[in-house]
Amino acid sequence: MATDEELVSHVGHGDESALRELLRRYERPLSHFIHRSTAGRDVEDLYQETWLRVVRHATRFDRTKRFSTWLFQIAVNLCRDWHRRAPPEPIDVLPDTPSRDESARVDAAIDAQRLLARLPEPQREVVILRYYHDLTEEETARILDCPKGTVKSRLHHALAQLATLGRPAGSESS
Amino acid sequence: MKLREPETPPSEGRQRLAAHATNCDACRNEPLPLDRLAARLNASRVDIDSTNLSRRALARLQPELERRALAAAWPRMLRGLLLSLLPLPLVVAFDAYFLNIVYGLVSALLPATLAAYLVVSYGALLVLLFALTYSAIPLLVMRSGRPLSTIDSQLATVL
Repeated sequence: MATDEELVSHVGHGDESALRELLRRYERPLSHFIHRSTAGRDVEDLYQETWLRVVRHATRFDRTKRFSTWLFQIAVNLCRDWHRRAPPEPIDVLPDTPSRDESARVDAAIDAQRLLARLPEPQREVVILRYYHDLTEEETARILDCPKGTVKSRLHHALAQLATLGRPAGSESS
Repeated sequence: MKLREPETPPSEGRQRLAAHATNCDACRNEPLPLDRLAARLNASRVDIDSTNLSRRALARLQPELERRALAAAWPRMLRGLLLSLLPLPLVVAFDAYFLNIVYGLVSALLPATLAAYLVVSYGALLVLLFALTYSAIPLLVMRSGRPLSTIDSQLATVL
């Protein structure tokens, strides 16, 4: 089976089947990362833009590096640009017609998204990559292009803030 | 890099929360509702039809892929042409030698004018076949989406 790095070099030469395979491998983690980073807004645009950049710059991809790191670096940069462009809006990610069974889970999902959305962007990125995608500190640092110590401190502060945000309203001040 | 989309909180995430609670002064004074926090974060399940997302992305990327394929085909075509031209002097020299022998044989049997006519006609046919063969090479290379190494080896086999 071809590695990601081999596939991306074929993508650089316009190989559609190689791109299809990369899409298949990364569609879930990438779309979920973007969804969590932007609280579900403009996911499709950002997802397509990420892959467009992959195709455009595939020939310049350094094959000694990991494709997944490169892909997420692109996604992180696009999400940062998106946050600079778009002012925060209330999160309304309810499906068009949620069933009664789903409503509790949807509420919980919105609640979790609100928690994440209230974190500063650098902390949110670290939480998503470390907590949801289970990446190591080294991998997270490479994607975010920052030292490992910065990842640790951002995660520490993020968890502290999440804990504060997660407490009941009455105990938040204590 | 291992990328995953956990349905339950990853154990490492829980450990990290627990480690934070141990090291953080504020949390030591007032213990974190760790399980509740983990549960709340974990509730952030994403409902996206990733397959449809990818299908639409692929459709949007099609023109860019075609541009890439065309850009990649030009160097491949030039390289294919150059490779095919390499043995040309040898082939031309061999054909000239062959035609000379044929002319010698035919002129021994037929009048010189007729022999010359036949040999020149045969030579013209060879030139036409050469022209057709070489003009087909760019088309074959451009149509082929296969890796360059495959084409090179095929050309080497043909030539």
